[in-house]
Formats: sequence, structure tokens, C-alpha cells
Amino acid sequence: MTAQPVDSRLRLTILGGYLGSGKTTWLRHQLFDGAFGNAHILVNEAAETPVDDTLLASRAASLTTLAGGCACCTGKNDLITALRTLCDQRSRQTATERGSNQVILETSGLADPAAILDAIRNDGVLVHHVRIAEIVVLVDALNAADQLHSEYLSRAQVESADRMVLTKVDAVPDATLAAVIATLKQLNPSAPIEAAVKGQPFSIPELPSAEPYDLPSIAAGEAPIMPTKIDIGDDIDWATFSVWLSALLYARGDDLVRVKGVFATPAGPLLLQAVRKSVQPPELLPPGATGRKNQIVFIGRGYEGDDLRRSLDYFSRS
Amino acid sequence: MCNACGFPTRPGHWTDAGADNTGDRLRLQLRRAQILNKLLSGYGFNARTPGHGPGFALSSFSGRTTLVPDLEALWEESARQLGHPIDPLDPRFTSSAPSAQ
Repeated sequence: MTAQPVDSRLRLTILGGYLGSGKTTWLRHQLFDGAFGNAHILVNEAAETPVDDTLLASRAASLTTLAGGCACCTGKNDLITALRTLCDQRSRQTATERGSNQVILETSGLADPAAILDAIRNDGVLVHHVRIAEIVVLVDALNAADQLHSEYLSRAQVESADRMVLTKVDAVPDATLAAVIATLKQLNPSAPIEAAVKGQPFSIPELPSAEPYDLPSIAAGEAPIMPTKIDIGDDIDWATFSVWLSALLYARGDDLVRVKGVFATPAGPLLLQAVRKSVQPPELLPPGATGRKNQIVFIGRGYEGDDLRRSLDYFSRS
Repeated sequence: MCNACGFPTRPGHWTDAGADNTGDRLRLQLRRAQILNKLLSGYGFNARTPGHGPGFALSSFSGRTTLVPDLEALWEESARQLGHPIDPLDPRFTSSAPSAQ
């Protein structure tokens, strides 16, 4: 195998979360602590008059405001233009002039991170200049129960997260916090959950055991979400798996909230990640980088976990 | 790598990952067509590699052949002709018991 070229793509962190979940506050503290280095910040607000940028400007190395439309729908073109401008600027700079390759997008509270992911993937320029580093979703512990009960968007945000940060945890009793955490774990079992108070990290105390909220189905006939872990046997090669998964995502993409795992291929272990129908370009991991090879987690609804196994098994038999 | 911009060429369809030399790519292409036909044959379709590049030639039982650039386009085209997507979780594929893993 040839040596991997230096990856000079922009690393984009998408910061999501429902309206008022504390995204700006959290980001300000992260920037103050230097968590993202000299990252360029993109702030998107659904409202025409931006406010957040003034709060962040003092802490950010550079900042672009995208006002007047949510970046996942009406403001999508603004986001694409802003990211393309960033790429363009970087390509004109020498290696020493270039600052951080980190970009943080603070989405509006109305954005579905998966839709943004899709927009970037479908853009001919950005697809090879931008790499999604992480989707961080903030969840307001105080209002999570209400939002998850009634808002489809709030659930979609939680489901697409790589990492969740619970905010305002000091304002809720332990029992509520435990129930919120149990609910989040049910919605998105693979994402780690952290907590923060006024933007500062907060260690989650010992909590009583709690049942997740019984969330009503919002869309018609929506079944609860569940994780299925599939160990890929030696008899299943990448060709079989990729054909099978692409068909599955096409037919069931709206039900499959997340597919994640590492698959061993002749080229090396591939990190596979999909959010609904959108599959991120699989990344080749250095050999031995992970102990959990050939294990794929499917998180979704509307199917039996065993059917996934049976179906894959059917196609692996030659 | 693109000579003009210095960036890797546009990544192909995600299913093309996992093969980084010509031999592996060819093997992947042929093996993929084999698996594809297992899925497609029950619906009266047939897929083969067109021979001159990436993608597939999708033929239906009526003899109509469509060239598609990648797997996603193939599922889209077959769904368009069938009126519904081909679902790997259809009972015809899931009725047999899984072998011990």
C-alpha cells in the first residue's frame, strides 16, 4: 500500500441542538478553553437579525455569519458558498500562512445536522475539501422531555449526533436527568453523553435508575428506535456487504437512522458511517488502529434485527 | 491526486472504497455484479459491468438496458421501473434461518 498523502481537507465540526439549548454559550467556553484551536467559526441563525456572532466574535479567530435562513434548508446555498469561500482562501495561502484546518458550524436551532451532511456530500467542490469531523448535539435537560415528546426535529438532531452534551443539568432534579439520559440512550445508543452547566463541563452525578420516557410516535406508524449489532463473518466480503447495504439504505434509508462500524477490506480497515440515506466517504484506518473490526451497528426502526442478519446471510452464501 | 488543485480526485461512490489497486478494483467490480444479480434476479433484472468503465448496465426482462453510474443510481432506476424499491429485508431474503456466527 502506498503512503497516505497528508490530509489537508477542512475538518468540519457541526454543532447542533434545538432552539435555546445553549449552543453559543457552550461554544464560547470551548473556544475560551482552546478546545478547537484557532478554528474558523460559521454561525447560522434562522432569524434575519443575528445575535450570536457578537457573543462569539471576541473569542473566535475568524467568524462568518450566515443569517436569514436555516443552513439545512432555505440557507443551504449560503452555507455552501461560505464553505467554498473558505476553501478558496485556503488554496491561495501558503502552508505557513494557513491557519487551523478546523471549522465549526454552529447551526440554527431548526437545523437537521443530517441534512447539512447531505448538502456537503452532494456538492462537487466541498465533497473533497471538507471532512466532517464530528456532529455534536446539545440537549437542553430542562426542556428535553417536552421537545422530544412533540418535536420531530429534536429527535432527528439527537439521532444524528456523534456526541451529545446535556446542558442546564443543574436546573433539573436527578430523577428527571436520569430519565432524560435514559431516553437519549434509547434514541442514540452509540453516542457518548456529556454534561455542561453554563458552558462549563459538569460531571454527571450518580443517578437513580430511570426508565426512558415513553415517546409517542410523531410520524404515522413510527416504531421505537433500536440498535442491532452485527458481527460480520469471514465469509462476508466488502463487495457483498456494500451491495447489500446500498440496497438497504435505498429501500430503508429513512428508517435507518445510523449505521456505524469498521469493516476489514483488502485495502485495510474502513470506517463506515451513515446518517439516514447519506453515507460518508469511508475512511481508511491505519492497520491495527481499532480492535473492533468487522462489527457494524445499525440503529433504526421498522425492522427486526434478526432479519438484517438473515438477509445478509442469504447474500453471503454463494 | 489532481495535478491542478493538489487535492485527491473526487471520491467515487462510497461502495468503491476498500480497493486501492487495479486488481482489487476489478475483483470488486466482478464480485459486486455477482451479488447484485442475486438481489435483482427475482425481480426480472440483470446487472453486468459495462466493461469500459465504472457503473453497471441494468437490463430488465423486457430487454431494456440502462447504463447507471453507481449502485445508488441502480437502485433508483430499478425502483422507478418496478414502482417500489428492492428491499433486502423482503421475506424472500429473510425466510431462511441465519447460520451460526
